[in-house]
This record gives sequence, structure tokens and C-alpha cells, in this order.
Amino acid sequence: MIIVVGAGPAGLAAAKSAASKGCQVTVIDSQPRGGGQYWRHLTAVSGYKSNRSAAYLKELQQNKLITHITGAQVWSAEKLGDGYQLNYLQAGVEKKISAQKIILTTGAYDRTLPFPGWTTSGVMTPGGAQSLLKGHGVVAGKAIVVSGTGPFLLPVATALAKSGAYVEIIEAQSPLRWALSPLALLLNPGKFPELMHYASAIVRLKIKVSFGSAVTEYHSGVAQVSKVRSDLSIRKKNIRNISADVVATGWGFLPDVTLGGILGCAQTLDRHETVVFEVDKEQRASAQNIWIAGEATGIGGADLALAEGAIAGLSATGSRIPAGLRWKRLTKRLFAKALQRSYPVGGGWQEWLRDETVICRCEEVSYQEIIESVQELGAEDARTSKLFTRAGMGLCQGRVCSRNVSDVVSGTTKCAVSRSERLAASNRPIAAPISLGVLGDGIAG
Amino acid sequence: MKSPDAIVIGAGIVGASCALSLTNAGLNVLVIDRGSVSSGTTGAGEGNILVSDKDPGPELTLALRSRDLWFEMQEDVGDYFELEAKGGVVVARHDDSALMKLASDQREHGVDAQVVGASDLHNLEPYLHPEFHSGVFYPQDAQCQPMLAAAHVIRTVISRGGNFISQAKVTEVLVKDSQVYGVETSKGKFLAPIVVNATGTWAGEIARMAGSDLPIAPRRGFILVTEPAPQYIFHKVYDSDYVVNVASSDADLQTSTVVEGTRSGTILIGASRERVGFDGSKNVEILRKLAAQATSLFPILRDVQLLRAYHGFRPYAPDHLPVVGEDAQVKGLWHSAGHEGAGIGLAPGSAALITDEILGRPSFMDASAFSPARFAMVKV
Repeated sequence: MIIVVGAGPAGLAAAKSAASKGCQVTVIDSQPRGGGQYWRHLTAVSGYKSNRSAAYLKELQQNKLITHITGAQVWSAEKLGDGYQLNYLQAGVEKKISAQKIILTTGAYDRTLPFPGWTTSGVMTPGGAQSLLKGHGVVAGKAIVVSGTGPFLLPVATALAKSGAYVEIIEAQSPLRWALSPLALLLNPGKFPELMHYASAIVRLKIKVSFGSAVTEYHSGVAQVSKVRSDLSIRKKNIRNISADVVATGWGFLPDVTLGGILGCAQTLDRHETVVFEVDKEQRASAQNIWIAGEATGIGGADLALAEGAIAGLSATGSRIPAGLRWKRLTKRLFAKALQRSYPVGGGWQEWLRDETVICRCEEVSYQEIIESVQELGAEDARTSKLFTRAGMGLCQGRVCSRNVSDVVSGTTKCAVSRSERLAASNRPIAAPISLGVLGDGIAG
Repeated sequence: MKSPDAIVIGAGIVGASCALSLTNAGLNVLVIDRGSVSSGTTGAGEGNILVSDKDPGPELTLALRSRDLWFEMQEDVGDYFELEAKGGVVVARHDDSALMKLASDQREHGVDAQVVGASDLHNLEPYLHPEFHSGVFYPQDAQCQPMLAAAHVIRTVISRGGNFISQAKVTEVLVKDSQVYGVETSKGKFLAPIVVNATGTWAGEIARMAGSDLPIAPRRGFILVTEPAPQYIFHKVYDSDYVVNVASSDADLQTSTVVEGTRSGTILIGASRERVGFDGSKNVEILRKLAAQATSLFPILRDVQLLRAYHGFRPYAPDHLPVVGEDAQVKGLWHSAGHEGAGIGLAPGSAALITDEILGRPSFMDASAFSPARFAMVKV
């Protein structure tokens, strides 16, 4: 039996390909339904190719070889003989599952950048606005600014506009940056209809789009927009104000590397210094009998996740990987690189901050406190700064802020964040909160 | 930078305290660390300043003085590190005779150890499990934020003319004719006739570089951190089994739980001890035992969520006493290490002992029990 952690595109593709070789597969996922964040959102808003997920979800439900465990939050993992045991919580009860082989497809979460006002009500991630729409049928606001960078802003903005909101898109990067990646565009002609789909939706829905700008402040229903350079530093401050009751702001995605970190899978940094897993050409992680596919090996979108997941599923069953699948992954990887080149997130956002701007919202640690931990107390890295200020120690365990804290610290010390520090900051021993009662009751014997 | 009078290796709380004490005695001190401030065991510490867990003997004498020195250090440096005499409560689950005997011995040696019956105990800790009928209250037990303490102490040393160089890994301890004269580091050579080895679990390595020997080994300890909760716990509360475990040399894992609340509302659960090497791997079973023991003390904690767990490595010597004093073979090389789980509490006291010895002035206690020479004698 193989355990697949995650039921997004990568996980479903892995389950499908492993089951096609006659292997028993258990897919374990935190959500009540399969599809992962990406497909769940797209299906909700009937975005481009949103029905592509149907075949995979049908497989998940109907293939007798595939078991689907829903609503399961894996909180820890341990090595067990030559396999692994996952400990998970389901409706408040702890359960365990073990297998010799594991495929991790743990996905990613939105990256947030702080700006004055980002912790006030009305500011959320694009993913959050999508979830409200899908999960609760709630349009987040009447006038919504979708700000940040990357193609994910498009489905969110068009979905919100379709549901009746006034929507503006403030994209930080220039579309001309795509000219840096001609090969990736040539090899992925399928992306043009997708672009046209959104472009026509934007025209039809009268969504105003600005490039090279960002929301750099939000107060009492007014979003202040500044012109920014490609590194996000301010070119011209506060060029206009937009009245908006919601600002949906997202700066790409950060892979969720917690579980693989617990299992000792080697990590590395991508071109944006984001922590991702190292995998070989069959998606094998450094730890024995673990495969990793999808966003956790580098942000690349659903197409790449599908290819990687299919390869991981085949490899885990000891099957041959068809050349066509390898080629597909290669072209999607090229496209993923082009995405990164087109939508970089530089450190210039630190210019948006005021002294009192909160960086860590769980522990309410301000920009000034982090600067002081460096200048006054001698912190030279994010870990030490965290010990002094408590930044990153709250409920989210640094998922939202730790990347930003280390960028602030390195901006203050004028030293680049070291590779080992980036890697160390991503490692957490507990993948999800667990109550002390449930934890203690799980004692062996 | 002029040549310092003394070099302190290690910018944890033990090294920082030494640097401050030597600076206040008129020496110019250079502190170096292979990382930054508090980057070793201090950074994984709970901030315990305890007298309650010490048996009568030299370590208790040191702990009592050191506890007072913490408050003097706060006056000297400023109120920056959350120092608080929150008090400890030790409870006995079944048979309280060992605890009562310990408390009575401690009282004879100057510890304020107040026996409390069931009603007083539950006044002190209203959420304690009702099955606990007796305990001992130790008002002297205190608490600090050790990372902030080390940082502010080093800042004070710098403001008084000392220096701190981070990311300087010692590659060689320079010794000539059995006298130390400096260190070679990844950031250059520094010369001084006095070198203080305050490197905690790495102290043995530094001693070996000087051609000497120090039997310091690491012991792993876990701390669990919960989400912020209402104030359920008012003191440092532990099971009397903990005191037995502290003195244990059994290599198997033993856990007994110390539970306390913090200013930020999170609850810390600590004090598992396990003798292993520098193995950073997590062990879910240890987390489970700590959680089970904490909830058996305070059932209300069952519904509190665990957010994270971390571990550090405590430096310990074979006889579980700290190593404080001049090296048996190398003149001018001083050690302040091997404080095990008590390094935060014992830091300023150890610093005072070393400073007094270096200056040749009388000290508050006879420190021969802590002498590094005790291991050399065992070998012969």
C-alpha cells in the first residue's frame, strides 16, 4: 500500500497512476472533498479548464484500489521499520496509518507581504477571498482591490467580479517581463487560450488593471496605490487612492514543506530563495521510500503538479516512466521558471513599512522591534531575532511571517540570508496543533 | 581594538555573565561566539532559576547565591529580561516522605521551603489535580527570559568598553609552556592571558584544543509550547519525581514534567531528559509522555493545543556538578560549563566564582567541588 498525502492535482495524479498499476493507494487529505485548494477554487468559479479535475475526482471516488481519508490533519510522522507512520487528527480523534511508501503532495499556501494596515479587517489573501466565495457563497466585499503579483490574481478577480463586486487588479510586475522567457512560451502554446480566456473576462467584466503598482497602505476603506519597481521598492509613492472594502493581496505561494521536513527529506532553495524539496528525476526525495510531487518541490501550478504526481505514482510502483510524461514535466518546469522570472517578489516591500507596522500578526511584533533586535541586541539571523521578539512563535508558527522576518533581518544586517538559515527556518516538529489531552492519550502500550 | 585582558568563548548566558563579572572587576573583555548571542543551549532554555531541585551540597550553595546575583544583575543591567520570582511548587503524587525529607534538609541550608497542605496547595494552584494532597512551596524559585538576558548583558559589557565578535569559530587554543595566550578563530587571532571556556556542550572540544580534557557530554531535553491560554498555572509546578530524575545517571529516557505559564500566555512543559549524542531527531513518544504528565498535574490542560516543541542539548559532567575553575593542566584557561539543566540559574554565581579566583580574592564559597581538576584525579 502507498499513502498519498494531499488530494490536490499532484496527489490525485499520483493516486491515479499508482492505482493504474494495480497498487492499493490511500489518499489522506485535510479537506472534506478532494481537489486541493487549486481545483476546489477553480471549480467553484468555473474558471478556465475547471472541469479538468472531474476525471481525477471520479477516479478518487470510484476506483476500488483507492481509499480516500478526508478531514484528516497529519500532525506528525515517524519512521517505522523500513516504512513510515503518519499520526493524524480526524474530528478531534488521533489515528495512525502506516505504509512502506509515502508520496507527499502537501501543496502551498499564499505568501503575504506586510504593509501599513494589512492586519485590519478587510485585508485577506486571494485564496481567502476564493474560499469565502466557494465555501460560504459569500462575496468578500462590494469594492475589491486584488493586489500582488502572479497569474492567480486573474481567476480570483474574475470570479469576484462575476459575483457582482467592483474589482480592480493591481499587478506589481509588468507583463513585458514574459519577453524574458520566449522558450517557455513557445513550448507551452496551451497557455495562450488560458490567457485569452482571462483577458476577455477582464474586458467583459470591466475590471480595471494596473501594472507596476501595488497597494502599499490600507486605512478606513481606502487603499493607497504606489508605483513600484520590479524589486517592489517604491518608484512613486501614493499615486492614487481606491475606495475598497476588501483588499485581497497575494504574492505568489510558499510550499508547505513541514511534513517532509519532519521525515528528514532534504530541502533546497529555488531561484527566489524559497525552501523546496530536492527530488531526483523520478520525484524521489532524499529519504528512502518517499516521493514528493507538486508545489512542495517548487511552485509550478496544476499542470506541472499533474505531471510530477503521475511520475511519482509510477515510480513508487516500480513502473517505467513514459518519455512523453517526462517531456510534459520538462515543458511545465520551463513554464514554472518563466512564471518565477515574470513575477518576482523582491525585498523592496520593506520600504512600504512604518516603524509600527506589524510583521508577525500572531505575536504582534512590529517592524521596529525586529530592527531593534538586530541593532540593539545583536541578532544576526531570523532565529535569534525570533527568540528576542517572539516573531513567528504564535498560532501560525511563522508560516505567514518567517520569510518576511528573515528578509527584514537581512535587510538590516546588510547580509544575505544564509542557505542554512532559510532551510532551518522552514522546519517545524509539529505539522498541526494537537491538544495535550489527545497527544498524551496516544502513549504506546 | 587593543588586546583584551580576557577572552570569553561563548555568548550564551554563562559566557555573558562571566564577561560582565570580569568587566565589572576592571578587566577589558572580548566575547567571541561561533554563532550569535544565545545561539546554543541558552536559546533553547526555559529560563529556570531554581533552588528547589537541588540537594544540600555545593550546588545548592551556588544556586542560592546565584539566584540573588540574578536580581543584582538586573539592577546592574536593567529590567529587560523578564526576571520574576514566581516561586516553585513541588507536589508529591503518592508518597510524600522523600519530598518532605528533602525540604527539611534544604531548610537547614537556607532554602525557604514551606510545606503546604491540601487547601493551601489548591489555593496556590487552583487548577491542580485534586488527588495531590501535599507539596512544598519555594518562593525563591525564579524565572527569566534567558536569550534576552544574554543579549542585554553583552550589550552592557560592550557599553563598558568590552567587545563582542560573532560568527568567530575557535579553531585553535594557543598554549605555550602550559599557559594559554589566546585563540585562533575563523575571524582571526586574538591574544589574552586569560581565556574562559563557556561553550556549554562544546566545552570538551575547546579543552581538547588546548591539549587538556573535560568530560562534558550532551543530554537532550524537550520543551513543549502551547497556544496562549488563560492563566491556569501560577508558579513553576513539578512532580517530586523530577528531583529524583535530576540526579539520575540512568541513560534511559526519564521524564518528569515541569509546567509553567509565561507572560505571553503560552504554557511551557519541559524537563524530559535523555542521554543521547547530538542527535536532533524528534521523538513523538517523548512529546506524548510530557503531555500526559502535564495533563495529569493539570487536567484543564487537556483541551489546550500544543503548537510546537523544541529541544536543546544540556551539557553535563559525569558527577552532574558544574565545572567551574581553572584547567588542571593549562594555566590561564578557565572553564564554566557542564551546568546541565541549571545553566541559566547558576550562570551569575559561576561567573562570580571565576572572577574571584582570577582576582585572587575570597569568594562566597569553597569551589573545589566544581574544579576541573577533579576529573584528572579520577583518571590517575
